[in-house]
Amino acid sequence: MASATRPTFDTRTPFWRNQKVLEALAQVAFAAAVVLLFWFMISNMQARLLATKGEAGLRFNFLSTTAGFQIGEGIPFSPQESYGRAFIVGLLNTLRVAALGVVLASLLGLLAGMARLSSNWLVSRLAYSYIEIIRSTPLLVQLFFWYFGVILALPDINTPQEIPGVGVVSNRGIYLTALRLSAVGAAWQWWLLGGLLVGGAATWLRRRQLVAQGRVGSGIGMGLLVWLAVAGVGYVFTDATAGLPAQAAYELRRGDRGTLFVDSNGNGEFDADQERPLAYVAVTLVSETGQPLGATRTDGSGEYRFFDLPENAAGNRITWTEPSVIVVEAPTRQGFNYVGGLRMTPEFAGLLMGLVIYTAAFIAEIVRAGINAVPKGQWEASRALGLSGPTIMRLVVLPQALRVIIPPLTNQYLNLTKNSSLAIAIGYPDLFNVSLTILNQSGAEVQMFALIMVGYLTFSLLTSLLMNWYNRRIAFTER
Amino acid sequence: MTTQVDRSGWSAAAPQKPPITQVGVLGWLHQNLFSSVGNSLLTVVTLLLLGWALNGIAQWLLGAFWAPVWENRKLFAAGPYPNEALGQPQALLLLLALLFGLSAGRWGSLLRDVGIGLAALLAVLTLLPLGMETQLRMGIALLLLLGGYVAGLRLPFPNRLLVGGWVATLPLTFIVLSGGIALPGQFTTAVPTNLWGGVMLTLLLTVVGIAFSFPLGVLLALGRRSHLPVVKGFCIAYIELIRGAPLITLLFMSMVLLPLFLPATAPSPPALIRVMVAITLFSAAYLAETIRGGLQAIPSGQYEAADALGLGVVDKLRLVILPQALTKVIPALVGQFISLFKDTALVALVGLLDLLGVAKSVVQQPTWLGVPGGVTREVYLFTALIYFIFSFGMSFASKRLEANLNTGKR
Repeated sequence: MASATRPTFDTRTPFWRNQKVLEALAQVAFAAAVVLLFWFMISNMQARLLATKGEAGLRFNFLSTTAGFQIGEGIPFSPQESYGRAFIVGLLNTLRVAALGVVLASLLGLLAGMARLSSNWLVSRLAYSYIEIIRSTPLLVQLFFWYFGVILALPDINTPQEIPGVGVVSNRGIYLTALRLSAVGAAWQWWLLGGLLVGGAATWLRRRQLVAQGRVGSGIGMGLLVWLAVAGVGYVFTDATAGLPAQAAYELRRGDRGTLFVDSNGNGEFDADQERPLAYVAVTLVSETGQPLGATRTDGSGEYRFFDLPENAAGNRITWTEPSVIVVEAPTRQGFNYVGGLRMTPEFAGLLMGLVIYTAAFIAEIVRAGINAVPKGQWEASRALGLSGPTIMRLVVLPQALRVIIPPLTNQYLNLTKNSSLAIAIGYPDLFNVSLTILNQSGAEVQMFALIMVGYLTFSLLTSLLMNWYNRRIAFTER
Repeated sequence: MTTQVDRSGWSAAAPQKPPITQVGVLGWLHQNLFSSVGNSLLTVVTLLLLGWALNGIAQWLLGAFWAPVWENRKLFAAGPYPNEALGQPQALLLLLALLFGLSAGRWGSLLRDVGIGLAALLAVLTLLPLGMETQLRMGIALLLLLGGYVAGLRLPFPNRLLVGGWVATLPLTFIVLSGGIALPGQFTTAVPTNLWGGVMLTLLLTVVGIAFSFPLGVLLALGRRSHLPVVKGFCIAYIELIRGAPLITLLFMSMVLLPLFLPATAPSPPALIRVMVAITLFSAAYLAETIRGGLQAIPSGQYEAADALGLGVVDKLRLVILPQALTKVIPALVGQFISLFKDTALVALVGLLDLLGVAKSVVQQPTWLGVPGGVTREVYLFTALIYFIFSFGMSFASKRLEANLNTGKR
């Protein structure tokens, strides 16, 4: 490089002092060392696997083998299904807890961050204590505490804590009262979806109008209003016109259970692949003498079962009444358990609680740092312009704070997803837990770890892509 | 208002005191808790909720059952480490106290703050009725720490001696804890690594993790900033792959796969070593990203100036670039070390008896089966408290340092 400074001698650099050559050599040496290390590890592994498992030791066809274990959470899974499908169930379970966790942690984190910034000393100190205590203890200890110390210490399923209007809390799960769309109201969902389209269009139009008038706003309020209006009209219309179809029929088995469905082919039997079940319809069991024996409601798949029937009561038919569009489904006691409503298993509840409380403390600090990063002059200038407090927050401070907040927030979302793998400590069947079960049963260590890595890397990549896209949207656009 | 020039001939009004609601306790209350109607409402509601919660907590604390914690105090401290060999970790503690005291006296700053915390901890342990012998040893450790501090301030020994002492401490720890190299007629007891546990193991994992992952992290950070594509590519791939996966997968991987990677004839390493490998490899990737941040903050003029002075690559990094880059990210590094400390709790899931592993085993002891309501809450709260003391202490010291360095100021 500096060879031109010696004009009287041979100006060529000898190759052992030529930086280009040296760099190339260094890289070759580095690559060789890495390749050698990997070759050493992989050849050892192959030798061991060949010795213990033979040719199958490195193949992936074990994934189609019957799993033989149960998964008590997520999409339906039976032990007859394959390892591959079990892995998918675990993947979806991770996704479920992570998605819900991200939303809840963001809300709680925002709240705690705002409280931390509050001018109210008490509120600010309280938020500070929460943030510091949570951030200074390992998540795993917190998970153990929440799951074993709090969730499993909830009242027994035989004497559960009933919270009127909300649901039932017990150590076998938390059952929340849910709103369901009944068989009659099924048509209403099309109104809801259509309203979304119309609302979106209204938002777009309103935004254009605002921009044309030189005003600020996203137009989302108008969109919401339109959507609500469409939904309201749809509800009234559905309620007034829809009813249960005339071909409604039922099956009654063993005198206390069956399915209510639309008998479209008229054969009197429920053909699950062709005929539509009728969900959330109140049904009554009637005896031969016309005496009502018991009442219940069909579930989401049109099935019903009567409990607590009197001794020797022989019901031979059922009657039903037309339900309203939306049905309130409260959890009800049937036998030794509760059915209906939204059920959260203790494992899911414990994991979600731990993840949300832990991550929210970190998000609170990020929110606080982000808002503090906006210079004081921005507040003062906004006040000088006569903007009110909330408007300053919405139009001046938050847009600038978000630019600071989004990158570390992305990291926290990724952390939450990765931390959900601690589910194994409390038995929630997430991606890692299910994979480990498969690994233990099939003995396919290398393949399963490769799949686990691919799974988590995919989650990371997707979250990063999504958040980077959002970050670009809100980034400071310079001319 | 009251100091206008008097032109009217009227005597100026005497200067008035500020209203009572603006100064003193009332003023503070008014400003911080009752500045507006909404704020007052918030205060009252928060107070009510806080009172309700504190009442519940107090009720629970009064009825809580702390016997499992107290009776298993040795288990929490050292795990299943044999009683007759406890002199070994205690001797190590004395040495560390002295070394830490000397270092705190010499270098001050973060070390002094941490040292104050450790002294307080030792003082508490000396006063707790743990048994005469243990209390005495804790007292001696405290004296060594304080004496070391004074000696570090006053005595003119070279820094190199201290650094050498610290470097020698790590292998020495392994030798002393495992009972030393077998010599004829020795009075130490051989203790296999699977009997190491409790807070001792947690701290050991942390220190080993820091000691090995830090240099690895520096190398990875430098590699990622290198202009050699092969080196850079490898470092990026390593960092992103490790950061994309949860620690627990790496722990299980090193438990299950690490023996597979070794030749069939090699004995498989003990669980402690496998776990240490996983923690080190994991932590290095995160440290690398932090250090890279520091490297990026060094203006290119520094590199050019070092080149102009004729410094070689190693000297340039050692004398010019790294000291500046690392100083810039000390608070972030301390944050990483704290997370490493908390992350060591995960080894309980692969069967090691660290602090959390001990807590898990204590909860399952048959002695407490009959306790109504169980003992989980007491045991895990106590465990959380120990973790809290160490990591909050570290983050508190780091915040003070940050204020001194002024690097944390935006």
